[in-house]
Amino acid sequence: MLILNAVINGIFFGGSLALLAYGLNLCFGVLNIIHFFYGQTVMVGLYIIFTLTVWLHIPLIVSCLVAVAVIAALHIVVHLGVVQPLLKAPLLNQFLALASIMIILENSAMGIWGATYRGVPISLPVLSIGELYIRTSNLIAFLGCLVVVGLLYLFLNKTYTGLAIRAIAQDTEMASLMGMNPRRVYLITLALVGVLAGVVAAFFVPIYAVHPHWGGTFTLMAFVIVVLGGLGSLAGGLLAAFIIGVVMMVASFLTIPEGGPIAAYLIFLVVILLRPQGLLGARVRA
Amino acid sequence: MKRLANLPTAVLLFILLMAITFPFVPLSQYYTHVMIIIFIWGAVTTAWTYMARFGMISLCHGAWMGIPAYTSVLLFNFYHLSPWVGMWLGLLAIAVAAVVVGYACFRFGLTGHYFAVTTLVITELVALVIIAFRDVTGGRLGLTVNPLGTAPLYFQFDSKVPFYFMALALLLLSLYIWRKIDQSKVQKALAAIGEDEVAASSIGINVVRYKTGVAVISALVAGMGGIVYGQYIMYLNPVSLVSIAPSLVIVFMGILGGMLTLWGPMIGAIIMTGLQEYIRVTYGTVLMGWAWVGYGFIIVVIIIFLPKGLYGTLIEGLHKRRMSKAARVSATP
Repeated sequence: MLILNAVINGIFFGGSLALLAYGLNLCFGVLNIIHFFYGQTVMVGLYIIFTLTVWLHIPLIVSCLVAVAVIAALHIVVHLGVVQPLLKAPLLNQFLALASIMIILENSAMGIWGATYRGVPISLPVLSIGELYIRTSNLIAFLGCLVVVGLLYLFLNKTYTGLAIRAIAQDTEMASLMGMNPRRVYLITLALVGVLAGVVAAFFVPIYAVHPHWGGTFTLMAFVIVVLGGLGSLAGGLLAAFIIGVVMMVASFLTIPEGGPIAAYLIFLVVILLRPQGLLGARVRA
Repeated sequence: MKRLANLPTAVLLFILLMAITFPFVPLSQYYTHVMIIIFIWGAVTTAWTYMARFGMISLCHGAWMGIPAYTSVLLFNFYHLSPWVGMWLGLLAIAVAAVVVGYACFRFGLTGHYFAVTTLVITELVALVIIAFRDVTGGRLGLTVNPLGTAPLYFQFDSKVPFYFMALALLLLSLYIWRKIDQSKVQKALAAIGEDEVAASSIGINVVRYKTGVAVISALVAGMGGIVYGQYIMYLNPVSLVSIAPSLVIVFMGILGGMLTLWGPMIGAIIMTGLQEYIRVTYGTVLMGWAWVGYGFIIVVIIIFLPKGLYGTLIEGLHKRRMSKAARVSATP
């Protein structure tokens, strides 16, 4: 029964992971850069929500919205300041520049909020169905993330901007010949990625207490999911997120807390070596 | 003209002489400590550039330092095996690990940022495994070497001087290997592979073998750095020695100095360690985090404006000037 509990928790965890992985996937698909500090932006969002609600006593909903806006703005600043000048640079230079932003964010957080765990004290009830115990916060995060994933799907498939983003992801040169402005699309994409990170942060508020090195694990988890699901495949990403979520929860439950991430990393290594296009990805590699 | 050509050699000999006599200068022990740290990181960063200059950006050099260090320290702590013996087992372990990782990555054609992310995951995996076996390794709290005072047979010295010379020797070894690789046909082969892997293999270069070979050499030198570091500091920590952070520090030192030149990584190590120590001593640890924020910005600026690094850009500028001067001299009869 307890293992069933772990599986259900894993599915819920997978919902949030899916949203994280979508941001990374969009970034990789459209701009062909690895968003190295994605987990760190979620961390910054959590800190902003903490500061606004606990220190300044602003209502939670408002501070969540502020956090989403701030993270989107952060992404726009990074795009204009760092990504845009490096778009034509070798891939590794982009990678390392973004890794330095990770260092900047982590150490700024350390300087501002210190090394202690910071959390917003929200107590939500625990649902019990028979012997199953479900934390409402996980359930809300799961449902919320699914709704946002659905909205994202609609945005990418039903609006002109979404069409432009997908077109640029497929073939930048052709799309710009068709009258799309890659620079504008890049900017919109990064802002969108920022909004996703902010939403994830808002849903994570009741679940996690945050500390400066909190983000690294989540960035890596998002990588693992993107690679497992296949680059550019939204359905694959969703499937992979649930697989990784369940595997992590069950492995941690059966062995030790580190067992979860270890299992996820091992899956990543096997997949990237043997099936680099992922579960549902197309058989194309740069 | 001949005298001028010998000038760099003379300068190098002078620097080497200074380096050898340095620990005997009656200065505070602290400076010897800083020099040891600079030499170790300089050696490891140089080892990292063996791969990086051919486009293989490894983010697992932290793990390559940690594996042999943990092996030899654990063997010493639990079986009282002298680190002089244990280090060879540690180096064997690192060689095997590097062969497995290198062969797997290169055989399946992981290049560019796929390779970087894969090595990053490997680093985290190694760090997590070390943390998971916390009964043996001490987990996140780290592992302290059982102190014996001065015991040369067990690689322990109270004085810093033996460590100073070991670190210096390691640095010279790493620079020597860099020169050897640079002058051999391995350099040509790897440069060709770095330019275009398919084209290189089509003219008969064994891509997997060359890349794995250089990865193993790089890992071995980094592993020696890890062992010296462990014996000197007498404390190993999975987060500060093995995980992403030290791997990125190595990368940053390499980029800061310039990863395409012989002395670049060393210059990067001097600047970064020097600044770090200066800030730590003058302003205390509170400012350390902000110092890292500063490094982050500096690295971003360097990557955007000086992609060849400080020393690399300087050397290139000098070279250009010399070339244009030579052109002018030959143009005027």
